[in-house]
Amino acid sequence: MPDITTMNRRTFLAGTTALGALGITGAARAQDITIPAPIADIPTDAPMRWIDTGDQKAVFYRDFFARYTAERGVDVVYDGLPWSELNTVVPLGIRNGTAQDAFVLPSSVPPAFAVRDGWVQPYDGLIPDLEAWKGNFPDGSFIEGLNVFEGKTYGVPYTSALVSGAHLLFNRDMMANAGFDPEAQPLTWDGFREAARKITESAGGRAYGFIIGGAQVGRWSEVVRTLGQMAGAACGKVSIAAGVDFRTGKVIWNADEFVAAVELLLAMNDDGSVFPGSLSMTAPQARAFMPQGAAGMILQGPWNIPVWERENPDFNFGIAPPPAPEGATGKIITGELAEPGNTMFINAKAKNPLAVADVVHYLGTVEGQTAWANVVGPSDPPLFPEALERSSMSKRSTAVLSMFRDIVRVGPNPFARNPELSEVAKAYVEPTPSLASTVQGLFAGQLTGVRENLDILTEATEAALDKAFDEARANGANVSRDDMVFPNWDPARNYVAADYAEL
Amino acid sequence: MTDAALPARPHRKARRMRQTALVYLFLVPGMMVFGAFILWPLVASEWYSLLDWSGFDANPVFVGLANYRELLGDSYFWDAFRRSFIFMLATVPAQMAISLVLAVMLNDKLLKLSSLYRTLIFLPVVTPVAVIGIVMTLMLSPFNGPVNMALLDWGLTQRTIDFLGSPRLVLWTLAVIYIWKWVGVTMVYWLAALQTVPAELFEAARLDGVTGRQVTMYIVLPMIAPFAVVIALISAISAMNVFPLVQAMTQGGPFYSSEVMEVYIFRTAFASAAGTVPRLGYASAAGVFFGLSIMVLTVFQILALRQARRQGGDQ
Repeated sequence: MPDITTMNRRTFLAGTTALGALGITGAARAQDITIPAPIADIPTDAPMRWIDTGDQKAVFYRDFFARYTAERGVDVVYDGLPWSELNTVVPLGIRNGTAQDAFVLPSSVPPAFAVRDGWVQPYDGLIPDLEAWKGNFPDGSFIEGLNVFEGKTYGVPYTSALVSGAHLLFNRDMMANAGFDPEAQPLTWDGFREAARKITESAGGRAYGFIIGGAQVGRWSEVVRTLGQMAGAACGKVSIAAGVDFRTGKVIWNADEFVAAVELLLAMNDDGSVFPGSLSMTAPQARAFMPQGAAGMILQGPWNIPVWERENPDFNFGIAPPPAPEGATGKIITGELAEPGNTMFINAKAKNPLAVADVVHYLGTVEGQTAWANVVGPSDPPLFPEALERSSMSKRSTAVLSMFRDIVRVGPNPFARNPELSEVAKAYVEPTPSLASTVQGLFAGQLTGVRENLDILTEATEAALDKAFDEARANGANVSRDDMVFPNWDPARNYVAADYAEL
Repeated sequence: MTDAALPARPHRKARRMRQTALVYLFLVPGMMVFGAFILWPLVASEWYSLLDWSGFDANPVFVGLANYRELLGDSYFWDAFRRSFIFMLATVPAQMAISLVLAVMLNDKLLKLSSLYRTLIFLPVVTPVAVIGIVMTLMLSPFNGPVNMALLDWGLTQRTIDFLGSPRLVLWTLAVIYIWKWVGVTMVYWLAALQTVPAELFEAARLDGVTGRQVTMYIVLPMIAPFAVVIALISAISAMNVFPLVQAMTQGGPFYSSEVMEVYIFRTAFASAAGTVPRLGYASAAGVFFGLSIMVLTVFQILALRQARRQGGDQ
């Protein structure tokens, strides 16, 4: 029987050492956040209210805003809500006149729409030397039609959109036993399937090769779009651009690459390599099985890395690009360099707009970006490359962000070309079933025939787009399907301002 | 009437008026809550159902009955509509029967620890749906889930069953979980109904040497039958309101196979996966249509209740 007294003392010593280490780390992080001089006289008689999608961002803001309040004397109310709630809270707040001073736009609201309807006010006049300050941002961060309208800056981005939500995360030990090393040699589709099969076989029912949070329907579209794009299909990601190949302006969900991507998933399921119950678990539930050693691979985003490193320090996992067919050179396409989901707008009726501008100004400096990177990590990576170099992110985190620079490309953004397309987005009704539901239906066996169903989806999406364009034109918008055609687009490289000018 | 009573009249009238005013005063908070959270949303959704509106556009467009016309041609709407009624038809009779058996057993004065059993049966009712969602997902998991492990151990199945991931099983699985969660409430209704059976009848039956089964069949059940209509009505309406359970466990999937009306309304109103604009007007039309359908059902049940009461009176 162990000596309980000794054990307690040991435990106590171990605990205090760990706490001390944590305190030192925490202090180191906290010391990174130094509130700089204000950009102007910030009023202290009104609180500043800020809302975004929380998560790891909330960890940063809770600490930062506490220091900000202490330094400036401005009370700050911070709300971090999931998208599903933010999508209803912000519009309701705008309607009722109670919206926060600073907010990210709901996922269904194009910036042009928010500007036109008077939801937001520009940063011009709030941030001194605005243009010089904007010059610190990487090229492509501010684009007319996305966050700048008629020369005025309405939205300020501060995180990078060069992120994949479906790259490979894997159990190194299981993968090594299966004879693969994706960190040295990224997996091909055949290798991906083979590795999943071998992991499953060698585990004898205690673990499976591949897991997906298939109850969360968006995971299916994310994974299939990523696999298809890595195979060479090139298309937009969201809203009216989803599935559109900008070289032709046509929807390509039935392209061979997407058909093959779905067939790959179905084949892995037929092999018995997919974790049982994947159809009835959410993405976070699926993610939680990985450190338990119940699954060997998952296609998800970099937000897993800090969570696993913090909560499962013994979990030996690696990161790699999403699998691609042998010899394929496809890239993952994003709509802009800066993440629109983390672009801050100021409420037109904000009670303390200067305080918002003051905070946003700090986030748009190397110091602010570095402090952000140290706390938030790779889930919402900073926009400034210098901040990445300076940050104290883990090896895996910096490796994954470096990998994204190789495999993610900024594609054309139709809204940047013609902001009036926001009228089309407003009228657009996504077909049912969507790509996500179609793939889920095929996987669940509710639908049969991959190509047939992707043909139906493509046709329905084309029809929905045509209908939305017709409706927008009837409402007076000057738009055409040609606005979605970018003949000079090369999916292998970023689409930049010069390319827009060339059109 | 005496002369002395006459001067009291104005006093009595004033007192009655004061009492009436007080009654109305006490009704005000309730009416305000009713107006704000029931009446106003009801009227507003009817108006919204006539609009092409995302919910945040400053200029909603009046489209008349266009949303309803579109709804009638939407197969996913009809599927969800059908599923809601299948769910109700699957759960209500089972819930009522099981809860009645439990209530009769627990109403037996000779049963020991009946309070403990009541508490245990009622426990799922007060457990948050989100917790039930998580626990049940783990319990039913095909990967080391206790239910599947038990089925395998007992030789009832050769391979694990994905209760929540199988399109054929998911709705029935949800129905079973729903019954388990809410059977305690229905049991309480039945217990209340059982209290109305006069104790003398039991006494008389005992003296006549009637068996327990006969007491149940020929005394208890006929006497509580009129309550069944009310309990069925309440249970049916509850079975239509299963959004939290379905959303917590399956989000209507896989591939819409557990999408009941409320989940359909939520999806069209708020939950587009591709970031497209929500359709509050269209979702409101679906809500109004569904509400009216439930109202029709309720009217039928009220007519049945009257009929039952009339028959009870005839007896």
